[in-house]
Amino acid sequence: MVDVTQHELVPEHTILEDDELEDVLAEYDIKRTDLPKIKRADPALPNEAEVGDVIEVVRDSRTTDTAVVYRLVVE
Amino acid sequence: MSTGQSPKSIGKISFGLMDPEEYRDMSATKVITADTYDDDGFPIDMGLMDPRLGVIDPGLECKTCGKHSGACNGHFGHIELAAPVIHVGFSKLIRRLLRGTCRECSRLTAVDASKFTDGDGNVDLAAAEAAAEEKKRDFRQELRRTAELGNDLDDVLKSAIRQARSASRCPYCGAEQFDVKHEKPTTYYEIIEVPHPEIEERLSMAMDPPEGEPVTPDELAEAIDDAFEAGRIRELLSGTYRPDRNDIDALQQIGKALSRFNDLEEHLGEQLDIESASSYLLDEDMDKLMPSDIRDWFEEIPDEDIEAIGINPERSRPEWMILTVLPVPPVTARPSITLDNGQRSEDDLTHKLVDIIRINQRFMENREAGAPQLIIEDLWELLQYHVTTFMDNEISGTPPARHRSGRPLKTLSQRLKGKEGRFRGSLSGKRVNFSARTVISPDPTLSLNEVGVPDRVASEMTQTMNVNERNLEDARRYVANGPEAHPGANYVRRPDGRRLKVTEKNCEELAEKVEAGWEVARHLVDGDIIIFNRQPSLHRMSIMAHEVVVMPYKTFRLNTTVCPPYNADFDGDEMNMHALQNEEARAEARVLMRVQEQMLSPRFGENIVGAIQDHVTSMYLLTHQNPTFNETQALDLLRATNVDALPDPDGEENGEAYWTGRSIFSELLPDDLNLEFTSEAGDDVVIEDGQLVEGTIDDSSVGAFGGNVVDSIAKRYDKTRARIFINEVSTLAVRTIMHFGFSIGIDDESIPPNAAEQVDEAIDNAYERVQELIATYEAGDLESLPGRTVDETLEMKIMQTLGQARDSAGDIAEDHFAEDNPAVVMADSGARGSMLNLTQMAGCVGQQAVRGERINRGYEDRTLSHFKPNDLSADAHGFVEHSYREGLDPKEFFFHAMGGREGLVDTAVRTSKSGYLQRRLINALSELETQYDGTVRDTSDTVVQFEFGEDGTSPVDVSSSEDFDIDVESIADRIIDAEFDDDAAKAEFLEREALPTNLSEHADERWLAEGDD
Repeated sequence: MVDVTQHELVPEHTILEDDELEDVLAEYDIKRTDLPKIKRADPALPNEAEVGDVIEVVRDSRTTDTAVVYRLVVE
Repeated sequence: MSTGQSPKSIGKISFGLMDPEEYRDMSATKVITADTYDDDGFPIDMGLMDPRLGVIDPGLECKTCGKHSGACNGHFGHIELAAPVIHVGFSKLIRRLLRGTCRECSRLTAVDASKFTDGDGNVDLAAAEAAAEEKKRDFRQELRRTAELGNDLDDVLKSAIRQARSASRCPYCGAEQFDVKHEKPTTYYEIIEVPHPEIEERLSMAMDPPEGEPVTPDELAEAIDDAFEAGRIRELLSGTYRPDRNDIDALQQIGKALSRFNDLEEHLGEQLDIESASSYLLDEDMDKLMPSDIRDWFEEIPDEDIEAIGINPERSRPEWMILTVLPVPPVTARPSITLDNGQRSEDDLTHKLVDIIRINQRFMENREAGAPQLIIEDLWELLQYHVTTFMDNEISGTPPARHRSGRPLKTLSQRLKGKEGRFRGSLSGKRVNFSARTVISPDPTLSLNEVGVPDRVASEMTQTMNVNERNLEDARRYVANGPEAHPGANYVRRPDGRRLKVTEKNCEELAEKVEAGWEVARHLVDGDIIIFNRQPSLHRMSIMAHEVVVMPYKTFRLNTTVCPPYNADFDGDEMNMHALQNEEARAEARVLMRVQEQMLSPRFGENIVGAIQDHVTSMYLLTHQNPTFNETQALDLLRATNVDALPDPDGEENGEAYWTGRSIFSELLPDDLNLEFTSEAGDDVVIEDGQLVEGTIDDSSVGAFGGNVVDSIAKRYDKTRARIFINEVSTLAVRTIMHFGFSIGIDDESIPPNAAEQVDEAIDNAYERVQELIATYEAGDLESLPGRTVDETLEMKIMQTLGQARDSAGDIAEDHFAEDNPAVVMADSGARGSMLNLTQMAGCVGQQAVRGERINRGYEDRTLSHFKPNDLSADAHGFVEHSYREGLDPKEFFFHAMGGREGLVDTAVRTSKSGYLQRRLINALSELETQYDGTVRDTSDTVVQFEFGEDGTSPVDVSSSEDFDIDVESIADRIIDAEFDDDAAKAEFLEREALPTNLSEHADERWLAEGDD
């Protein structure tokens, strides 16, 4: 089967550690549920991602080299 | 809104159902008579127009609050319904609750009790109840989670009901559950299973056979091994049997046993099929649930059970969805109109209420008189119909209630819904004061920031002047001019708040009374800022601020360079103007909304205001061949611009100095501009130190939609410089095109006879090749392209051949056009039209297409009756070999019209589709906002983007070319330079030592350390 995470157009998805997550939430002054969502079934997610985890997506950007986005895994 | 009340802030709004008791409490009166007014024209007490419900006639006093019409908002009344009726708005929720709760004990059937059995196969209710409680906890948990994620709570309710519906037995009381059928809009049936009538018939036949021995119930019971006891068989026989789903098998066995006992088939003929289980089964029977049954059912639902599916029982008890009392809207919400002949015409809502009260009364009378059940049920249904249509008169499956004239009544829901409804029509969109609308026309002498306003508009729209010592003189002069002379005034307001109208008679007198502290509503004058708009307002540049220039005549005048952002032309377009009414609005409009501030489009980050059409042609004429001008001519070209001295001449010819077109254009450029790019005409444009060294100035340099020079000036200098540049370019362009003269006629598209011959030859050639292709095809020798059928291949190849023919015809025609041919100039400069248009005018119009294919429709196997069936040739399928100049023959004309029609239909469909798409997009995105921390969030603070556009930049501020970065340093230097009169002052400012800031005493140490050196 094709592993989409290996595709060059699929950006890096990594699970955020708890302490990093705290920093992110503090930076934006939000609760975990205020983050954008991503479905658990999303093929781009790492296999060990679980519902409730926060994923860091690092995308290539034409203007800023990389753009970082966080998403909460939901069912 | 009534006046004289202090404003209050709304803490929160909660939505829920209304308790019938609350209806009664807030009711000003009970309404019992359907009549409105008595013979003398006075409202009848406890009628629909009862004076306690509010006043609409001026001068009368409200009997409830004592206020007069206008001040009194009106008061609700109520009707006591003779029998409960269903509220249509909740028919879906009612259906869900009926399906999800027990028919006996009304509890939520969260689990199916029949799934919980003890060892003997009996239902274990205790276990089921525990499981149900567990399930309800799950539902609550799910509700909390859904609320946290900001998703729709309705989905939780839906899935909970789906699970509860599948229960066949209640986990609390063990009662069997039946399915509920909902017949729209407001009828509910319980599907109950009853024994098939055939079984009864067969039983009695067996007990009392025409011949042979009768069978006793006991024998029958024995025969089926007591699966069905004798007692129950007797019940079945006497019709008192209560159906039970578990009896299905037993009933089947009875059927079979019966046929064993005697040969019933002989007696019953073919009516019965022994082997088909269904005929022994149960029959479905629909038991109608009356609204009163449903109300009783819902009353029993415990609070904790409805809470588990997301309904707040304190605010919304489910039984409140069944109305027992109907609120009567105040008369102010349904005013009656007095017609010219003195007759009163009532509002649609009043008509509907009259119907409701009439039926309600008849219902009560009939019930008291002990009318038969059938009549009562009919009246009940009628009452339900009237209450339903009172709330919504557009329910599918229900005939709409109509006015005597046949017009459907506009009831509550119709008042709110749709484009003209309360929300979209009255709340989001309102008619406003201080606005004007008229036709627009061009005026090249205006700046692009300006708008010409007709004097009669200017004397209608006013601006408020707060009079003080400094503007007292002006204010008096405005008032003294009166309302009709142009810079006049229409109203004054004295400090005591009294508003006086300025008239021709009192203006002189009034002018003397004006003192500081008064307010004067003066006419619009030159330089005032207004907002200008053209619909459809598709992007933010559709509404921009302009400075007023008051002018005679009746149209709004605009500079042609602002046509692109508004998408305006002058074929009868109208535009709207709004005069701003407070200082904040005026400041905001001037700083943010002025045309020059909106010059760069956030869609593509380049300028959207710029030279168009004749401007572009004109700049092309000025710079392409780089013509020369003598002093008089050069001065004439520049006379309308702000350039008042010519540069050094470019050379001398016959003793006379001359200037080239490029150096004249260069006068408009900033002195230190450097730029290189390729023009639309194809040559390289080089600008060095504000001089156009070489290249053609055309659409790609000064045009709207990303003209390089305009874009660069706007970004490297500022928008004011860019505005000046565009204005100067357009004035220079107007002069230049007047100098050269520019016109186009039919002869400009004619080609010499030898060229025409070449074109014909090319087309004949193509025809031949098409015939060859057809011949190959018919011989079966055509090889199909990969993935296509032979037919498709032929079509493709023919299309390709004919396309080439048109192109070569175009090339031939193009070769014979002079470079100064006006059509070529326009196409080459990008001002208007393309080479393809020229090809079609002079060479050959080419293949007409419908749905991307050659024309294939019309008659059977042919397009027109002029052709033989199955003719595959070019002219039989819409190839137009003539040019527009030559003219089309009738067949060609017809095919051309077919293609043209498709184009028209497509654009019509596209605009309506994109309009709706736009509306949906705007509704979806309207609440998103970029916060101060750079994130984009919605109203519930959910992050949508962590950085605006993921890069935090505005497209407008990004350089359009990759090799040129915006030079922040030089911009800063220029601004600082402009700030100081001389270098000394600047040096003094820049060399000033900044003392370290000291916000807190904790920083003292650092402050001392830094200050000490």
